[in-house]
Amino acid sequence: MTAELVVQSVPKILRRRSRLRLEHFVMGGAILSLIVLVVLPLLSLLLGSVKGEGGLSFQHFEEVLSGRLYVQALKNSLVLGAWTGLFSLIIGLALAWAVSRTDVPGKVLIQVTASLSYLSPPFLTAIAFVYLFSPNAGLINVVLRDVLGLSFLTFNVFSMPGLVLVTVLHTFPFVYLLASSALLSVDASYEEAAQILGASKLRTAFSITAPLVAPAILSGTLLSFVNAIALFGSQAIIGLPGRIVTLPTRIYALFDYPPEYGLASALSLVFVLITVVALYLQRAFLARRSFVTLAGKGARPQLMSLGPARWVVFGIAVVAFIVAIILPYATLIAVSFSKSWGLDFWKGLTLANYKFILFDYNVTQRAIVNSLGLAIAAASVAVLLGAVIGWIDVRSRIPGRKLLDYAALIPLGLPGIVVAVALIQFWLAWAPVLYATLAILLLAYVGRYIPLGVRAANASLRQIDPSLEESAQILGASWLQTMREITLPLIRPGLFAGWLLVFVPVIQELSASILLFSSSSITLAVAIYNLYETGYIEPVAALAIINMLIIGAAIFVATKLGGGAITSRSNTQGLGS
Amino acid sequence: MASITLKGLTKSFAAGDDAPAAVSALDLDIKDNEFVTLLGPSGCGKTTTLRMIAGYIVPDAGTIHVGNRLISSPGSVMPPDQRGMGMVFQNYAVWPHKTVYENVVFGLKIRKTPSKEARKKVDETLALVNLTGFEARYPNELSGGQQQRVALARSLVVEPEILLLDEPLSNLDAKLREQMRVELKRLQRRTGITFVYVTHDQAEALALSDHIAVIHGGKLQQYGTPFEVYSRPANRLVADFMGLVNLVPGKVLDVRDGAGKVEASDLKLDLALPSGFAAGDKVEVAIRPENIRLDKPQGNGVALAKISDRTFLGNVSEYYATLSSGQVLRVQTHPLQMFAVGDTVAVEIDAAQCSVFRGAHSDQG
Repeated sequence: MTAELVVQSVPKILRRRSRLRLEHFVMGGAILSLIVLVVLPLLSLLLGSVKGEGGLSFQHFEEVLSGRLYVQALKNSLVLGAWTGLFSLIIGLALAWAVSRTDVPGKVLIQVTASLSYLSPPFLTAIAFVYLFSPNAGLINVVLRDVLGLSFLTFNVFSMPGLVLVTVLHTFPFVYLLASSALLSVDASYEEAAQILGASKLRTAFSITAPLVAPAILSGTLLSFVNAIALFGSQAIIGLPGRIVTLPTRIYALFDYPPEYGLASALSLVFVLITVVALYLQRAFLARRSFVTLAGKGARPQLMSLGPARWVVFGIAVVAFIVAIILPYATLIAVSFSKSWGLDFWKGLTLANYKFILFDYNVTQRAIVNSLGLAIAAASVAVLLGAVIGWIDVRSRIPGRKLLDYAALIPLGLPGIVVAVALIQFWLAWAPVLYATLAILLLAYVGRYIPLGVRAANASLRQIDPSLEESAQILGASWLQTMREITLPLIRPGLFAGWLLVFVPVIQELSASILLFSSSSITLAVAIYNLYETGYIEPVAALAIINMLIIGAAIFVATKLGGGAITSRSNTQGLGS
Repeated sequence: MASITLKGLTKSFAAGDDAPAAVSALDLDIKDNEFVTLLGPSGCGKTTTLRMIAGYIVPDAGTIHVGNRLISSPGSVMPPDQRGMGMVFQNYAVWPHKTVYENVVFGLKIRKTPSKEARKKVDETLALVNLTGFEARYPNELSGGQQQRVALARSLVVEPEILLLDEPLSNLDAKLREQMRVELKRLQRRTGITFVYVTHDQAEALALSDHIAVIHGGKLQQYGTPFEVYSRPANRLVADFMGLVNLVPGKVLDVRDGAGKVEASDLKLDLALPSGFAAGDKVEVAIRPENIRLDKPQGNGVALAKISDRTFLGNVSEYYATLSSGQVLRVQTHPLQMFAVGDTVAVEIDAAQCSVFRGAHSDQG
């Protein structure tokens, strides 16, 4: 009786509620995009790996897990990851400790080293180190052998140590950033309490500080591992000449004619499994970080006085700065201005290389334009999609929204080359016209970096009290009006940072592009790689400098416009090119 | 022997928002087995003083003796881990990655106590703080009060001669604070450990301490028993900080053998005067609200006043009584004594409980 009465008295509202509204279309669109971008390609990767000649079969997996070539690649990848993780841990932790706990001079230098190392495209660092340390023509090797006669000091970069060195330069910042923030946020009173009970500095460090910061440090080490094994560029540039084939380069080789889609899919899935296990462990470690409490007033840890030893630590920091920043950048700049790279390069300085890549050679021109366009488009789409998905997760009550959030994080576990294999599998089957177009590159970039967009939006939305949106709604604002007037302006700074977080890796993306490009859709990183492969040493350097200038300009513009601390925001993301 | 002697203790910090408060030329004699409180508003230097005693902060000048042992002097500062003290922190600092047992046994392990004996000592200490049965718990499974007691047990188990406590009750709710206050006092009596206790809560200081050191602006203002500090404040800062007080400006009319007549607003009071006052001096008279009585206008008071506001606080009633000069007095009376706003009342003052300070604008130095 009462129920009937209610239904009769408020039918309008009820009807309005059940009708499809704009927000439903927007949300539906976002979900659909995520399915097309991530879920379906991944499913076709799965399907492709078990598709045998006559139906389902595990023959590809069998071959991948027993064939000498594949097992060797797997082993090399794991060895590379392990060494890189170890050295990232040592270097990152030492620098983090120096900055957060000691009175070492030049802390800014260490911070700059970590940030720039993280932002520098690793394949460009690899190229620079080849110019210095390739066994025959590397400049430093030449000087050591031919000028100084110290051939026993020469270093062959085309080796596992060389590969580890170049990779660590990119991955140690993961440990550094996580460790320094953990060391800074340990409440000083935990350590003081141990000291007053008679524990020495060393004992306090081992029994109190170390267990408290261990989860963050282990998590950073695993991130280094995951990123290290996913880097196609340095593994191709340094690994292949040294006959060190790894998972990304082996998968790449499977696309030589005739392409072995099934094997590539199976190997990709093995690759994903390693990454996912490592990322799962990383998350589990990080979840234990609840130990580290935010420091209250006056609870900052006291800085340890190193005495004269602080100049030794400072010296180590300077060496790190020189090896990680000065050497690669100075080399690329020098090569880009020289007529021919060698001992006497300074005798023939020229702008011809820049003229060549910017004005004469249409491939590099096209690559620059393509990459700029793709990066702007991919960053914008990823951030917009991310905003909607983030909003669904944080604000709506749609069932399965958590699942959506997880789906949006999947690509974090996918190395770039695996994304490319999955996209090829999917789009070749359903829309072959897309193959080798700019569109498939855009799909790859958005799919790969959507997690960064979602996270940026998620983090910003969580900081905004829902009552701000609710008070607009109670005043009669529609969903669109609320979004436009309240939500979007409030999360704009966060989205801006997210946009940059996508732009920077896309402008240097190589791992996925290398399988997806065509001569018309060539990108900057691919152009650099191809020029390098064909031996255009000097123009490669010029193009590399252009690439870095674009990255620098993007960061400059973003910080000017109010994006703010990009490197600190990105500390736990798994980027890689 | 665990007396503590501070001589000329001085510390200044570079200016900055979160720089600790400075301390200048602080002298303090803390006797063995005493419960001494460093009391003052936040930023007065009391925590800095405590942290210099502990050894976390290195003084710029001055010395610290424990008994006859010099533990801190310019150029030779013993680190905290060799001072053998205990400390309880404001945020407890109970290590989150160790169980209650592991937290408490830590100091004994450092001292290489045999494990059987250590076990026994931990059990006894946990019993002392009513935490028997909590050994295997982690701190995040404990309430604030329980964590507080773990912190206490951890400091007590190593039987320090001196226990430093940095606002240990400030993070507890009112009821628990009262309860812990009683437990702390009992603990101190039972163990005979010298307690140095930092707080900004004067009620806590009065309830707990054998002696209170009132610190303000990095300087020691007064050192005395709770009764002395409360009823005979050394200066206006101390009077103002130790509970509610009416500070009434006035003038000395007449001085005779350590006593004098003071006219303050409409009040003519016969007061004990410290030496050095002369007729005509400007003064301030400190009158605590509970030392003022209100009566019907025909009663025998020193002045008449009008009730301008009243608040019922449960155990007392608080009135604002305005004298004809416009001076407002805050008065606390028995709750059953009822006056209405607008009533005229006679004001009676217990002159023996008042203190006199030099006036803020005194023309004599």
